[in-house]
Amino acid sequence: MESATLRINNISGHLTTSGVRGGGQCPFSQKSTAPLACPEKAWSVINTSPHAKPNPIRVLVTGAAGQIAYSLVFMIASGQMFGPYQPVVLHLLDIPKMQEVLNGVVMELNDGAFPLLAGTVATTDVKTAFMGIQVCLMVGAFPRGPGMQRSDLLKMNANIFKEQGAALAKYAARGVKVLVVGNPANTNAYIACLAAKADLPSTNFSALTRLDQNRAVSMIAERVGVPVAKVKNVSIWGNHSLTQVPDVTNAVIQDFPEKGLTTPVLTAVNDNKWLEESFIPQVQNRGAAVIAARKLSSAASAANAIVGHMRDWVLGTKDGETVSMAVVSDGSYNIPKGLVFSFPVQCRAGEWSIVQGLKITPFIQLKLDATTKELQSEIDALPK
Amino acid sequence: MSNDILNVVVTGAAGQIGYSLIFNIVRGEMFGSDQKIRLVLMDIAPMLDGIKGVIMEIEDCCYPLVGEIVVTADPKEAFANADYAILVGGMPRKDGMERADLLKANATIFQVQGKALNDHAKKTCKVLVVANPANTNALIAMVNAPNIPKENFSCLTRLDQNRARAQIALRAKVSVKDVHNIIVWGNHSLTIFPDHRCGYVSLPSGKSTISGAVKDDTWLQNEFVATVQKRGAAVISARKLSSAASAAKAITDHIHDWHLGTPEGEYVSMGVHSDGSYNIPSGIIFSFPVTIKNGVYTIVQGLPIDKNTQEKLDATTAELISEKEVALAL
Repeated sequence: MESATLRINNISGHLTTSGVRGGGQCPFSQKSTAPLACPEKAWSVINTSPHAKPNPIRVLVTGAAGQIAYSLVFMIASGQMFGPYQPVVLHLLDIPKMQEVLNGVVMELNDGAFPLLAGTVATTDVKTAFMGIQVCLMVGAFPRGPGMQRSDLLKMNANIFKEQGAALAKYAARGVKVLVVGNPANTNAYIACLAAKADLPSTNFSALTRLDQNRAVSMIAERVGVPVAKVKNVSIWGNHSLTQVPDVTNAVIQDFPEKGLTTPVLTAVNDNKWLEESFIPQVQNRGAAVIAARKLSSAASAANAIVGHMRDWVLGTKDGETVSMAVVSDGSYNIPKGLVFSFPVQCRAGEWSIVQGLKITPFIQLKLDATTKELQSEIDALPK
Repeated sequence: MSNDILNVVVTGAAGQIGYSLIFNIVRGEMFGSDQKIRLVLMDIAPMLDGIKGVIMEIEDCCYPLVGEIVVTADPKEAFANADYAILVGGMPRKDGMERADLLKANATIFQVQGKALNDHAKKTCKVLVVANPANTNALIAMVNAPNIPKENFSCLTRLDQNRARAQIALRAKVSVKDVHNIIVWGNHSLTIFPDHRCGYVSLPSGKSTISGAVKDDTWLQNEFVATVQKRGAAVISARKLSSAASAAKAITDHIHDWHLGTPEGEYVSMGVHSDGSYNIPSGIIFSFPVTIKNGVYTIVQGLPIDKNTQEKLDATTAELISEKEVALAL
């Protein structure tokens, strides 16, 4: 019988990055009383104290009857996204065809007996779904069918995200934090942001590149032979597509080659050819590789990235550490203003800020130009 | 941070429940965020390719706790030095299959796995059987593993308990975290008996009985029981698929509590070998209320059994005895 032993390398994932588990307590333990590691870094909406009696936060997941949502909603219900002291009301939206399946998801959420799940609102009605929400996870999008051109995909989704952007403006809380996952994620976020322009700050909107970052970190960790927890500040720039730019120029490995020392990834890897010709394409193509192996798209790892992105946004990032988020460009690094572009950011008190002054090599600059061009052309292809 | 590594085996790892369960384990929800794990994923040979994709996804999650992952179809390799064995894999019921056929097919599987556990797992290995018929499969594994204490074998009824708790919470309009000590007795089947009589609800004004909080004894005697018993089918009907995520959560809860202990005063339900408590005959695996400390469960004694409860216990016991007879007639 064949067997395969695979070495899985590690990164400090959400468990220690934002100190959610402070004191090593499992959230299922009813005795979890340790305070969060850095409560002053958290968004004011989030309760970080074990002694308070907090209001639940309303979180909408669109595409709630789908694969990614099936992994995601249980993670949210168990406290992974907002910490062990913040109850959640889950709003779940999908199309009418999926109503029965959605009912099944609600049954299973209830059957999970999650202490932090304060309620569910499962609906196919946009107004009900968006009413009063404070966090919006836009997982649902029109999927690409056989024979469909990218331009068709852009047009179908433009309608959905225009409607949902308007719903955010009309029904959601003013401070609603939006994460777009459904592809083409950056451009869908752009459309939603535009539709809500009169009412919601553009800083409320983001798209997911955290999965790409996690994939990149895992590959670097394996290449160098270190735990994933030690690899820091790998950045993903640009569009969540084949033109994304995984960049290790400013990344480091902690406690390498020995405890107490920090080494730049470039030095530790010591192989620019591998970085340019293998590493970057592998990260860019990982989604397809997972589909080929599973016969299904990434679900659990996507859900994990969604949780990581939003958790770091609302609970804050560690000092000196950056995460990748696609946000509306303010012109940093000469990226045209208004494009939804993935940057390295830090988060504090519920706000993200683009890390300034990072080194951009000529090689990376060419790639930034290419991904910028692609994003611009996606916007140009939108129906007026 | 604990330095020892736990060997945790999941069978049926390529399936639906496996997909949800594996990520719960590697995230630290099962054993706590300090416990490093060596994860062994077992399934039948044709399914092993699919697991490669799951492993790619685990890599893409960047979790700190997983030191090594092994993928295998060989029970000997899978169970070598196992600390925990979660037996999700079994023969599913196919159209036209009689219950007796299902029992017999699974008896063969669990005979092989029981022997492999006996010969290769640690003597301290704890076993949780999920694949249905869970109680009888656990019994088969147990009788084929005489080197491992009977107390180390269990089957999953935590899902039924979680479902029962949720129904009470919804009906009483309270948070599920405020509903305590709902028990499920007997077989993980349509004869399981959800029992609210020793439970309570923590309200701001103080503790209330379940009956007092729900204010509808007719519902408690009838609809509540039926809803919990038939919940599995209801989820299949809605999802067109079996419960996976909620099953994975229940598995996580069961093992978490077995490993780390239950909070003071809280009962949890586990299918375990009967020691004669409540006059349940020994020689079957039966869901009882337990408390857990230092990795050892203790059946809660002295709970009142009224006439209605006794009837329900008798029915589920009779079913388990007849399953045992069919399964052992090999």
